[in-house]
Amino acid sequence: MVQVDFKNLLAQRLAADFSRRNFLGAVGAGAATAVLGSGIAQAAEQRRGGTLKWAQLVPPDTLDPHFTGSLGSIKIHNNIYNGLLKIVYDGKRVGFAPDLAASWEMTDDKTHVFKLRPNVKFHDGEVCDAAAVKWSLERVKDPKTGSPHAWMLASLESVEVIDPLTVRVRYSKPFAFFPVAMNGATGRAGTIVSRRAVEKFGKEFGRNPVGTGPFKFVQWRENELIELVRNPDYFEPGLPYLDKINIQLIKEPTAAVAAIMSGQVDALDACPFQFMSQVRGNKNLQVFGEAEGNYAFLAMNTKRAPFDDPNLRLAVAYAIDRELLVKQGYFGDAVPAYTLISPPMADFYDPAIAKSGRGQFFDLKKAQEYRAKAKVQGEIAPVYVASEAFTSNGSSGSRNAQLIIPMLAKIGIKAKLELMDPAVLNKRTNAGDYDFYDAAWEGDVDPDETMRPEWSSGMPWNRVGYANPEFDSLVLRASQTVNVAERKKLYVQAEDLMMAKDAPIAVLAHMRVFKILNKRTEGFKYVPANLMNMHTVSLKA
Amino acid sequence: MTLEQLSPAAAASAAAPSPAVRRPHRWWRPILRERSAVVGMVIVGAFALMALFAPWLATHDPTLQDFSVALQPPGADHWLGTDSFGQDLYSRLLYGARFALGIGVGSVALGLAGGLLVGLTAGLVGGRVEWALMRVVDAILAFPEVILAIAFVAVLGMGVDKLVYALAVSFVGPFARIVRSDVLQVKSLPFIEAATLMGVPRLRIVLRHLLPHVASSLLVQAGIRISTAILLESGLSFFGLGVVPPTPDWGLMIAEGRGFIAMAWWISTWPGVALALLLVGLTLLGDGLRNALAPKSQGG
Amino acid sequence: MLRALFSRLLQTLLVLAVVSVAAFWFLKLAPGDPVSLMLGAEYSPAAAARLTHELGLDRPWPQQYLHWLGGFVRGDWGTSYISHSDIFRQAVYEALPITLTLSALSLLMALLIGIPAGMVAALRRGGPVDWVVSSVAVLGSAMPSFYLGIVLVWVFGVGLGWFPTLGFVRPWEDFADGMHHLALPAITLGAYYAGLIAITTRSSLIDVMGHSFIAAARARGEPMWRVVCVHAMRNVLMPLTTVIGLQLGGLLRGAVMTEVVFAIPGLGMLITTAVLNREYGVVQAGIMLTALFFVLVNLLVDQTYQWLDPRLRRR
Repeated sequence: MVQVDFKNLLAQRLAADFSRRNFLGAVGAGAATAVLGSGIAQAAEQRRGGTLKWAQLVPPDTLDPHFTGSLGSIKIHNNIYNGLLKIVYDGKRVGFAPDLAASWEMTDDKTHVFKLRPNVKFHDGEVCDAAAVKWSLERVKDPKTGSPHAWMLASLESVEVIDPLTVRVRYSKPFAFFPVAMNGATGRAGTIVSRRAVEKFGKEFGRNPVGTGPFKFVQWRENELIELVRNPDYFEPGLPYLDKINIQLIKEPTAAVAAIMSGQVDALDACPFQFMSQVRGNKNLQVFGEAEGNYAFLAMNTKRAPFDDPNLRLAVAYAIDRELLVKQGYFGDAVPAYTLISPPMADFYDPAIAKSGRGQFFDLKKAQEYRAKAKVQGEIAPVYVASEAFTSNGSSGSRNAQLIIPMLAKIGIKAKLELMDPAVLNKRTNAGDYDFYDAAWEGDVDPDETMRPEWSSGMPWNRVGYANPEFDSLVLRASQTVNVAERKKLYVQAEDLMMAKDAPIAVLAHMRVFKILNKRTEGFKYVPANLMNMHTVSLKA
Repeated sequence: MTLEQLSPAAAASAAAPSPAVRRPHRWWRPILRERSAVVGMVIVGAFALMALFAPWLATHDPTLQDFSVALQPPGADHWLGTDSFGQDLYSRLLYGARFALGIGVGSVALGLAGGLLVGLTAGLVGGRVEWALMRVVDAILAFPEVILAIAFVAVLGMGVDKLVYALAVSFVGPFARIVRSDVLQVKSLPFIEAATLMGVPRLRIVLRHLLPHVASSLLVQAGIRISTAILLESGLSFFGLGVVPPTPDWGLMIAEGRGFIAMAWWISTWPGVALALLLVGLTLLGDGLRNALAPKSQGG
Repeated sequence: MLRALFSRLLQTLLVLAVVSVAAFWFLKLAPGDPVSLMLGAEYSPAAAARLTHELGLDRPWPQQYLHWLGGFVRGDWGTSYISHSDIFRQAVYEALPITLTLSALSLLMALLIGIPAGMVAALRRGGPVDWVVSSVAVLGSAMPSFYLGIVLVWVFGVGLGWFPTLGFVRPWEDFADGMHHLALPAITLGAYYAGLIAITTRSSLIDVMGHSFIAAARARGEPMWRVVCVHAMRNVLMPLTTVIGLQLGGLLRGAVMTEVVFAIPGLGMLITTAVLNREYGVVQAGIMLTALFFVLVNLLVDQTYQWLDPRLRRR
């Protein structure tokens, strides 16, 4: 029997694989296509010491990776913890490099063996060995913990300690998702946390994180700042360079921009789009950022009239001028979206999609045709819910709404904007009490993560109530297929179904995501997954 | 509460013959003589006219988006420039006067009515009722206004009318207090007692004798509160809980403009200046009215 | 005297009780709850039900209120849902001193600028100086504080680079840096009060200068500065105290917008964030503190009145 090189297959898939929230440690050094970024370069030239001040607009909710739902938290905790793998980027492709794991083997399509690095310690002195890894993974899976990421380890059968530095992970089914799930970096299920600390702090662990990463947690002053300090025992030799990191939590976007422009802070985690031209023009700042794995969309409530009618939804989808939206809503720093798969998903994204006729795009005539076919003729006045309060770059606030509403008026839909605070918005979208709202899914790298949990029937994130069993089975099969060409075909089918036939949403744009650093910092390695890794960063004299 | 209550002025005006005897058309004379009142009236009047004639004075539809001209500085086509949606700022400013005055006057009027009711009741009825009412008033006064407004908006939802209610609540307290203490002061005056003894119905006493005395200080306070109302409303817009875009409202324009302050500073500036000017006018008017209606104090 | 004080204290407690009930009730009435916010994208009816039960939010409102009240009077103000931090410590030891510092500094600045400005304007009444000072004063009290704050930040922080654009450094830890950071926020918050104080000082000084006793003092040959600063200003104190007293109670709450713009983690920021997050315990704590402050200040002002003007000692 031919020995299938599972690892290689998976590695191929992984090269373009990225999950917004499932960054679980995965494959190791042997992967043929994985690109390694070592981060140890330049060690001789970079200056040691200093305190980096970073302004953060996206609010963190908790620093317990097994419970967090915020990209803001992920940016921060990626400096405190490690996963079995981490994400690296060479400027063209995203790959995985070993983090806590020194190597990864797959003995069959359900079993993975990780060899850990020796002498890794948690910040509290506890040893990070196979037992610690096992405990951390099982914590996520244990229903008593109540982690919202438990589903990533749903078909995890067992975690065995072979020897103090070797862990065997067994799944009950082949889980193509596994590496993504195991990626600790921004992750969550595969991020390794300290057992002793969790047992000591209990529910407060999220405010007292203990990991193995380059920086140790010092304090979190509510609404004010989070302080990190250098971990002198960090396992990557020579890293980190900085002595301290001071993360200022800021609510008002213009204040944060003022802070980075005046040089009061050294880094900014997100920037309102309209300031980008100014920021780029500032000679003291360097801007990192490209179109990342995300899409903004207009959600339509398919569970009630009038948007239970696909013709009406398609009319809306074709009535939106995405070029205008990109120019006026995102000030040029976005790419019109035709389908859900975004540019960084290199193996799946079609750069010529504009000419292919696939997906959704602006075509007023087509929109009017669908409108004429709709069940409800005459004027429609749907409710568009949105929230402005304390929105940072992540949410458009009411801007998209204000741009889209006049567009829809052209096809006889006079949407009424209702503003509310975020708590009410949350409640109403959960309860289905709306006709329109807009949102975005961000930080994805894999089509699976960008489509399946959001739009499969009955999933909690699927607030619009989209339910198409054919779509469900297509994306499920795609997630279990390793062959890239086959997967691509399945996704094309799924997207054509969702975008051009059912249209529960109107996809809008893929946004550029920026990290802004002052030129007095050096060594920042940009990773297109909304990360602010300070491992290799130093301050110039 | 205010200056005039402490000076002998209040007592002095109460000792004068009852207003029913004075000839009605001379009350505006002292006002005109007070320069600040006149300047104030002119300014407020100008804004009122702006608000009234906005549809004729405006050059564009205030909510018409035109991206070919977005973020333009003042120029020939758009006298005060455009905002990030290409909406004409001059037209929005004009219509904004409607909302400013409407929300300001509306919420103050409502608050005044409420305060009048509470204050009169408290002052006239006295006893336990008065005590209880005043404690409630104290509680309202102690409540942070911004939080009160945010909570009200959260409960009632957004919209100009709901905003007016939310703002009005925070004014009931101050007005109630003023009315009550005025009522208390006037209540014990001899001619009031005489009227009561003579059998003049309570209501008549209230309407003909009490109210006019209370009126002048209330008017001054009202002017000040209108400013507060408008400032409060723009603060709510800052939190995204004020009026709904694209309503041409000064508070909203300032709040929206702050995100563009580096590249299009004029978006926030015009409504900011207009707001300041209106408030200046209201303050001058209030001051002037107070000076005019309160007789000059005698020697110390 | 003692009885009056005692009765006032009792009334204060009653007022605070009413405020606490009102605050509790309002926020509960507002749609939305902390649970769906906390769960975010991981929301599901099952998870929501479980979390609601865990936080005790499914019990009847009166029971929740009484539970809170019982803890509150004992000093146990609960823990915040999101951060699990002790609310008492957060509100009283961390947020309150910050807002008090900011407010005190703003008031001080307002007094130091407003009173002399008002005096100058009154003494040079009608002239160009008066005109300038009055205009600036009125303008200061007419600008929305968040707008003023942002303008100051961009002009002095980004443009000129003279001051930090945001953040709070505790002056008791580092005085110079603390003051440096407080400069712009204090101006923003103080502008309103400075304007008000200047206007009041001016108009009451004008008023007082017209009195006969002033003319008498001048006739006696007393120097102008003594006439103004000693005789006249003594009578200006009363109306000034009125105005400041009226505003003082509102100082804590006026700081809300300034704190948000300058990222100052004070009470205003705490309460506002808590209202938006439906953190009932934190909101209660914050409102009780501001209400208490307001009532205490009013008490103090009233007592000061009576002390300043014996004519008012009636009740």
